[in-house]
Amino acid sequence: MATEHEFLTRTAERCHDPYLRCALYGAAQAVLGISGCCVLAHAPQGCNMLVNSAFGWQDADYTETLTLCTKLCEDEIVHGGEELLTRTILEAREFSIPIMFILSACGPEIVGDDITAVCEEVQSQVDFKLVPIQCAGFRGSQYDGTDIALEVLLKNLVTDTGQKIANSVCLIAPHANANPTWVGDLRWVQDVLAQMGVQVTATITHGTALSDFEKISASEASILLSFDCGQKAVDYLSTEFGIEQVCKDIPLPVGFGNTRRWLSELAEHFGAGEVADRLITEGEKMVVEVCRRKGLEQFFMHRAPSAIVTDATIGIPLVRFISEDLEMLPELICLRSSQEKSKEILEKELKELSLNPRVIYGADVYQSSTALAESRPEAVFGSNIEKHGIEELDIPFIFLIASPTMRFRMIDREYFGYTGMLNLIEFIQNDWRERYRSRQRRYQARW
Amino acid sequence: MDNDYIAFQGSLQQLLEKVESGEMVPKLQASHAPPCKFWTAFMVVNGIRHMAPVIHGPTGCTYGVANAYKLTSCEYRGVPLEPTACTALDESNVVYGGEGKLVEAIKEVEDRYQPELIAVLSCCCSGIIGDDVETIARDAEKSVNARVIAIRSEGFGGDFRSGFEDAFRAVMDLMEPPRQTRENTINILGARVGPTYTEWLEDLDEIKRLVSAIGVEINAVLCGGCTLDEIRRAREVKLNASWCYDWGQKLGDLMQERFGIPYSRTGQPYGLRATEEWLMGVAEPLGLEKPARELLGKETDQVRAELESLRRNLGGKTAIIEVAEFPGPIRALSLARMAEEFGAKPVVVNIHPYTIKERMPSIKFLIESGQNPEVVLTKGLFSLGTFRSSRRTELEIRQLVTGYDNAIFLGTPMRQPGIPQVNLTTRTGFPQYGFPGIRNIARLVESAVAHAARPRSKLFRQVLYGG
Repeated sequence: MATEHEFLTRTAERCHDPYLRCALYGAAQAVLGISGCCVLAHAPQGCNMLVNSAFGWQDADYTETLTLCTKLCEDEIVHGGEELLTRTILEAREFSIPIMFILSACGPEIVGDDITAVCEEVQSQVDFKLVPIQCAGFRGSQYDGTDIALEVLLKNLVTDTGQKIANSVCLIAPHANANPTWVGDLRWVQDVLAQMGVQVTATITHGTALSDFEKISASEASILLSFDCGQKAVDYLSTEFGIEQVCKDIPLPVGFGNTRRWLSELAEHFGAGEVADRLITEGEKMVVEVCRRKGLEQFFMHRAPSAIVTDATIGIPLVRFISEDLEMLPELICLRSSQEKSKEILEKELKELSLNPRVIYGADVYQSSTALAESRPEAVFGSNIEKHGIEELDIPFIFLIASPTMRFRMIDREYFGYTGMLNLIEFIQNDWRERYRSRQRRYQARW
Repeated sequence: MDNDYIAFQGSLQQLLEKVESGEMVPKLQASHAPPCKFWTAFMVVNGIRHMAPVIHGPTGCTYGVANAYKLTSCEYRGVPLEPTACTALDESNVVYGGEGKLVEAIKEVEDRYQPELIAVLSCCCSGIIGDDVETIARDAEKSVNARVIAIRSEGFGGDFRSGFEDAFRAVMDLMEPPRQTRENTINILGARVGPTYTEWLEDLDEIKRLVSAIGVEINAVLCGGCTLDEIRRAREVKLNASWCYDWGQKLGDLMQERFGIPYSRTGQPYGLRATEEWLMGVAEPLGLEKPARELLGKETDQVRAELESLRRNLGGKTAIIEVAEFPGPIRALSLARMAEEFGAKPVVVNIHPYTIKERMPSIKFLIESGQNPEVVLTKGLFSLGTFRSSRRTELEIRQLVTGYDNAIFLGTPMRQPGIPQVNLTTRTGFPQYGFPGIRNIARLVESAVAHAARPRSKLFRQVLYGG
């Protein structure tokens, strides 16, 4: 079976309408997951907007986590900004913080500000730890930025204790997930592990205590919760501390098939077969019963040509979920990243499912919009960008499952596991009904 | 009153002098950061229809503005999704230069989107490595059908205000010599952000209604959803006016200086007197005083009850006014003027020296026009840490209001000062301009007075200030 796969063309490399922010944002996302930290952006003030966005994505609390910015201006670009950086770090002495991450943006990196040297020089004058991270926007996408930050975190904060904690795991890159409330997915994983008697040594990162880093090297295994970044961190842990990656060649647990397989592989590693069997049996039964009672609309889904436009983390498992459980036909898959490992997994999935969609890796908005215009699917699993992008195309349904959705959600709702399936089905059915809502009144009421 | 929490207390004129002399440091602390020059320059060009930006920088700057402005325009203002393209500069471009890539990107944007206008915006990267966006834009224009402008908008290159001004300056280059002078036609200046949710369309609608009622036509709202064609014909008008004096001032001055088009210098039309001034500022240069006076007379008659209500509820009171960075201190000063008109003594709280510096020409204009309210800056304003600053300021404002008899607070409901509080952020409270504005504000002030004794929410308080 031949699958047509496309990569960024030379054209797209010249003119790019991005889905992703830059490395500074990805690095900020990673470090803002550490509780009670301070993040200092050594950057002009606009870059601080990226840090603010990352703050929101990590569900950080402004009463606990502090962000500062050196707000570089022309003077600092011409004469260097190291003095201003030093001053800002020293000003932060009035805070009670355990650690400060200094993130450098494009400007200071190009003019040669040495944030590492500044941190070394100032370290003795402050009672919090300074960790410099060179993550200028030009170093790559937000996923590259997360990889850069994870590497710095692991190299700076993790030491080899020489001991292992039996049945323990560390979770990597949970935040690199297009589910707008990805924390729900993380909670589901943590809950499943708890039921299997597996201890989570650390989550890198979300609500991570600094002390958690001390336990990482003692982890027996690691689980990568993203298919868009984090593999380098997992490989580092494997090489340095012999931490084995589990569930590494299969999609994340979205839908019956993926969840069954993911839970089974986890159980096999940790000897928790009985727990997994129970979770699978009870979970599948619950989904069926809830759908029966609430009323699952099936007729619009059967063999509907569909497109998936999202990140690899959610996009790859969606393929099996929508084709096996919802009987839809994925005809176009546009993924925002292009990691080799993710490509392998997706290709394996497509082969197993006998599907032959058009696949675009590392897509930008123009590529996905053009591909959608060409393939004209019946339904699109995507974000608010696709919602507006397809407005003038004759595509009936857009299911808003990927960030940005422009929808406010107070409660974190997972896509992983069985309740996750119900969440997705609920979003799909509401968006399907939205299509039929009247926008106009045909006549005026008499009262 | 124990004043150890007060950093400055005096008139607006005195604060201005302290900022000008450098006595009050016009720099925001490290925890407070408004957008950079690149963001604000983008805001201006984003208000031009069928414009395709080519952002000569990495993806972070690009996605940031696309998400903040483009997508919200689609969501809340019925604007179609148009591209936010960039050259996605990477490490190798930073080393070897990105000019070639930019040239190709401009051509590619033309081929892909056929825009009427291509706006090239530089970012920190391209600015520092010295890519000459202006020359490239000039050269590229010869090989594409679209007009091409370039804005040097490196984030470090100036504060937020310089982005607005430089973008307006670039937009001026698109204005063609007039083929005619269109009688009774004006431009409205100073809109930015595009037709998105951060501009109050209701205020703009009221301005349009007022000028239309006296027989004036609007050529363009620059740049609030205008077309390239409207910009081209912008020099055919008899007069420029602004929806907000502050934002329109630079473009108005430049168009007057370069093209000889007079600019109506009036403040925001809050309250009756400012509304009269705003409308007469347009009517007099156009010779339309008579219909304007008739309109003002007729509409004033229709809001007699509301004017009386405002006098009753504000007369003899101290109006404590706090409008922070958004929607901006100029609104605070306009409210101060309105409060004074209805018999209150205005006290403007926490208008940062930084904003005085950034808005110096507008502040000076307002002072020259006779506005010189009392200003109080509390120490919390200068605290490091956004949350800590906000919490400290909240406590200071609570303390400040106890020093005044009969005070009323005008500003955001995010404060809980414990006195009658006018919520100027309700959706039905807009427009605040003109005659509907008088009705709306009168209603909001009535409500504040009527419900002054009702306790504020513990939930709101703890979310904002901890505990």
